[in-house]
Amino acid sequence: MSAAGGDPVERAATLQAELDAVKRREASFRAKMVHEFLERGERNTYMHTLREERAALVKRGQEASSDLEVLTRKLEASSQRAEAAQSEIERIKASFWWRIARMFVPAPAPVRAPRAVTIPPAEGGAFTYYFHTSPFRIYRGGTFTLRGWAWPEAGGAITAIRANLDGRLFAGRLGREEPEVIARYGPQPANPKPGFEVSFETLPGRHMLAIEAQVAGAEWRTIMCTSIWCEPGSP
Amino acid sequence: MSLEEAHARWQESTSALGERSAYKRVWDRQAGEFDVASLAVGGFMGEETLDQRAQGTIATLRKTIGLHGEDVVLEIGCGIARVGKPLSRLCLHWFGADISGGMLGHAAKRLKDCPNTTLVELATVGLQEFPGDAFDVVYCTVVFMHLFEWDRYRYVEEAMRVLRPGGRAYFDNFPLDSEHGWQVFSQGAMYPLANRPAHLSMSSSREELLAYMTRAGFAEVVIHDLPNGLIAATGRKPDE
Repeated sequence: MSAAGGDPVERAATLQAELDAVKRREASFRAKMVHEFLERGERNTYMHTLREERAALVKRGQEASSDLEVLTRKLEASSQRAEAAQSEIERIKASFWWRIARMFVPAPAPVRAPRAVTIPPAEGGAFTYYFHTSPFRIYRGGTFTLRGWAWPEAGGAITAIRANLDGRLFAGRLGREEPEVIARYGPQPANPKPGFEVSFETLPGRHMLAIEAQVAGAEWRTIMCTSIWCEPGSP
Repeated sequence: MSLEEAHARWQESTSALGERSAYKRVWDRQAGEFDVASLAVGGFMGEETLDQRAQGTIATLRKTIGLHGEDVVLEIGCGIARVGKPLSRLCLHWFGADISGGMLGHAAKRLKDCPNTTLVELATVGLQEFPGDAFDVVYCTVVFMHLFEWDRYRYVEEAMRVLRPGGRAYFDNFPLDSEHGWQVFSQGAMYPLANRPAHLSMSSSREELLAYMTRAGFAEVVIHDLPNGLIAATGRKPDE
C-alpha cells in the first residue's frame, strides 16, 4: 500500500483506487474460477454439445477425405487402364497390318510422350499420419500448403519432410505442436512435435505427389503417394 | 420475416401446457429461428427494440441492486442475451445461463463482439454447472412467469449458493394487481382450455417472492413495484 502524503483527500483517493484494484483482482479471480469450473466439468452441457459437434465435424471431414481418397484411387486405376489401352493401340499401330491399313486413311496427329519423372518417389514406409489439409482435392490455386502430422510406426525421428511432385522437391517444415494428437496417442519421444507443413507449386494438369520423410537423418521414405489434378481458375 | 409471419411461426413452435416442465424442449422448439426466438423471449423483434428494452432492465437493476464495473454477473434464463449484450459493457464479466441451447446459439451470435461474456447451457432446472461463492450479482428477469413455482424457488436457492457473501440477487415477475399484469393474465385466459401453450405466462405475488427470498436465506430482502408493472424481489447474501 502506498497512501503516504499529507493531503487527506488525496490519501483517501489513493486508498480508494487501491481498494478498487483489489476488488477488481478478486473479481477477476472469481470469473477465472467459474471458467475453470466450467471447462473442467462434464456438467456443462453447452460446452459438451459444442465439443460433440466439433468431433462430429472432424469425423465428417475425415469421412469426406476418405471418400475422396477412394475416388482418387479409382481414377488412378482408370488412368492406368487407359494408359494400358493406349499402349495396346500403339502396339497395334506399330504392327504390319496396321501399316497396310494406314495407307488407306489420313495420318493421325502425333501422340505426346508422357513427361519424364526426374526423381521417382521414395520407397514407401509405414507411418502413422494424418493430413489436416487433405491432399485429395482438385487444386485450384498456384500453390498449396499441406499440414499434418506423422511418425514412423517402427520408431525413429523424422528429421526432414518434403513434397515430391513429379520429381520436383519442395522442402517442408517440421516441429509443429500437435497437443490433441499427443493427448490421444500418448507422448512420442522421438517425435515430440509431430506436426509438419509443406508447400508446393500446383501447375495445371495431372501430377504425382508424394509426401516423403527422412527418418533419422538417413533414408527417405514415402508417407503417402497420390495422383493430383490441378485446374487453376476453375470454379 | 414480418411480424405476422413470426407470430404464426411462433404459434406453430409452441408446446402443449402439459409439457411445461420440459423446459429444454419447450424453449428449444421456440428457438429455431432468430425472429421467432426473439418474439418468444421478449414479445418484440429487431436489434434496436431489443437494446432499448434492455436499457430499461439495466436501469432497474442499477436502481434496485446496483451495478459496478468490477461485478461478476450471472443471468438466469438469458435467452438471446437481450440484457447481457449491453450489460456486459458495464461489468467485469457476464455469464449467461439458459436451459435452451437453441436460444444460446442466437445469443452467441449476438455476443460475438463481447469478449467478457460466457454462455452456459443448463442441463436442467438449477445452476449445477456453476461453483459456489462466485458471483457478485445474480439476476433473473422475465423468466419466472414461464416456470412452475417449485422451479422458481429452485433458482432462488441456487442463486444463494452461487453468490459470494455480500452478493446481490434480483428476480422479477408480473403481479395480478398491476395494469400490465392483469393484461398478461387476461391474454392467457383467452386461450381455449385445450390449446394453452407450455410457456403461458403465470403471475407471482409479492408474498410468494418474499417467501422464496427469506426461505433461501437472503438478507435485506425488498419487494419492489416497478414502473413497468412488474414486481421484483432483491436481496443480499449474508456475509460469512
